[in-house]
Amino acid sequence: MRALRLVIAVLLYVPDRVTAMLGNVWTALVQIWANKIRSLLTVLGIIIAVTSIITVVSLVEGFGNYVTNFLRGLGTNMMVVFPQVVRGPRGEVLRRAEMTIEDIQSVDRFAAAIRRTSPLIFGSATIEYGRQQVTGVTLRGTNEFFQPIRNFYVDAGRFFGAVDVEAGAPVCVLGREVLRKLECDESIVSDYVHLDNQRFQVVGLLESKGSFMGENQDEMVIIPWTAGLKMYPNYRKYLAFYVESMSEKDIPEAEGQLVRILRARHGLKTGDVNDFGIFKQDQILQEFNKIRLIATSVLAGIVSISLLVGGIGIMNVMLVSVTERTREIGLRKSVGAHRRDILLQFLTEAVVLSTVGGAIGIALGYGLITMAAMHPNMVEAKVPLWSVALALGFSAGVGIFFGIIPAFKAAIIHPIDALRHE
Amino acid sequence: MIAHSPVTPPAPVIELLDLHKVYRVGTELVHALRGMTLTIRENEYVAIMGASGSGKSTLLNILGCLDVPTGGVYRLKGQDVSKLSQSKLARIRGRMIGFVFQSFELLPRTTALKNVELPLSYTRARQRRQRAIEALRRVSLLDRAHHRPNQLSGGQKQRVAIARALAQQPAIILADEPTGNLDSATGEEIMDILDRLHAEGQTIIIVTHETDVARRCRRIVRLRDGQVVSDNGDGARLGAAAPPTHVEQSQQVPAPV
Repeated sequence: MRALRLVIAVLLYVPDRVTAMLGNVWTALVQIWANKIRSLLTVLGIIIAVTSIITVVSLVEGFGNYVTNFLRGLGTNMMVVFPQVVRGPRGEVLRRAEMTIEDIQSVDRFAAAIRRTSPLIFGSATIEYGRQQVTGVTLRGTNEFFQPIRNFYVDAGRFFGAVDVEAGAPVCVLGREVLRKLECDESIVSDYVHLDNQRFQVVGLLESKGSFMGENQDEMVIIPWTAGLKMYPNYRKYLAFYVESMSEKDIPEAEGQLVRILRARHGLKTGDVNDFGIFKQDQILQEFNKIRLIATSVLAGIVSISLLVGGIGIMNVMLVSVTERTREIGLRKSVGAHRRDILLQFLTEAVVLSTVGGAIGIALGYGLITMAAMHPNMVEAKVPLWSVALALGFSAGVGIFFGIIPAFKAAIIHPIDALRHE
Repeated sequence: MIAHSPVTPPAPVIELLDLHKVYRVGTELVHALRGMTLTIRENEYVAIMGASGSGKSTLLNILGCLDVPTGGVYRLKGQDVSKLSQSKLARIRGRMIGFVFQSFELLPRTTALKNVELPLSYTRARQRRQRAIEALRRVSLLDRAHHRPNQLSGGQKQRVAIARALAQQPAIILADEPTGNLDSATGEEIMDILDRLHAEGQTIIIVTHETDVARRCRRIVRLRDGQVVSDNGDGARLGAAAPPTHVEQSQQVPAPV
């Protein structure tokens, strides 16, 4: 029986508290609306903080997704190995690095965790087609495995094959951006272009892949590495190469094997530094994570300062509000308001004020992100829901933290003094 | 309403027994109430008069449970409220006492109806809207329910304030100079309403220095230096507060001051 009465009491009590809370929120909104400009200036700090949270988080997330997608596009089990000059502590050259086709072939043959390799020559060339000329085009010399290793395929014509590589045939594959700059269409396939004044036949066109970190992957010309050596004979001793491991989880094993093989071939003793470098995807991720960390730290700085400023603003305006409304407090107490009723009323007002600021900040953040997204070179950035929740949580927290003192001050005013207040 | 026979006087609402109140102002002690003993019974209509400094504000604050005495006993409807905590006092204010202030004290930007509902929201009363409407009806202001205070005249504001005091069906209405901010015609109007409420059985205490106001009351208590110096009738002795139409009315009208 008593339990039943308790249940009924709770059932009656809860909606009552909800009604009271909604009443407080309504009072707060009326109060904020009555002092529009004052309220807006007060929550400026909160607005700045929340706008920063929304925009920075969205941008960092956007870039993060972009990097992840890019890495996936690279092929997830790819590494690049390149000769690297060994330098002493004062920058002096200790060992000249070399990498020959024999090195690459040994790796290919003896490293069990490696599926295939592809020599790689980096260059830059001027391409001519008819009357059009484009300078500074990225030139890559590689072999027939480029497509599967890089997960980057032709979508018109064909890629060059093993025979072309063997022969050092003057054939090339063009990126879409090169095509655009040469002002021609797919009819260029099987026609001839000049690369640094040497005649090459265009056999295929690469699919469009977009740019990454300032490098446009579509502004690229790919030729057999053997043909590349004819243009840059010096590369014969300084080849780089792609390595594809058997699977993604075999990457560490593949790396260990190729390091052993190359060290043995280069005659490195225990303690000698590698005279070659290995570029893996997780290095890109590490680089990106550094950027992310910096962005997050800057964000945290801006946010904490603006939240502090905003919070102090809210505390200040709430103290003013409490003083202004002393008679109201007296009246409310004389008609039966308890201290906690007054405390809750003013605390609610502070929280509503800061949350309104947060809401404005979220809207501004959305606006900024939407505007940024209109820029053609901008990555796709969406506002993550959790950042909205975080921003609202922060602003409400600031309201509670900085609103508690004014609310407490209001709650402990003696009703007689309050009613006598002028 | 219930007619009381002289033999069984109505129950006391307020009983003050040797009430003292001492304030500390700086280093000085101010003896605002010096042993006040007073009984006010149900449906009495009492004016409390006195010069400034006579202790009438202090008495009003204590009667309204806004303050507690430093000595003596205050029983409200039989319950000793002289040593209660702030929280308990707030509860009693909300349930038993209806204040009417000189300067109305309505919440701005809030409709008359919402103003009347205010005390009910703090006591978690049921059916607030209906009770507030009923209270507004009793002061004949139902047609202004959705007006804000700045759209109301002074008299209408005070009627809203009276409705607010009535909303909780309080044991007593405490009116502090209810006509003080009004012109005499409007003041009459407010007093007519209070008269009517008294006729309907409400216990009303008015603190005033206006003899015109006091003359309407059934009983006048005069204070000086924190003590009662004249009291023209104890409800018990006189056999209860009768409605204004009662035969004893002529005896109870005080002599002009």
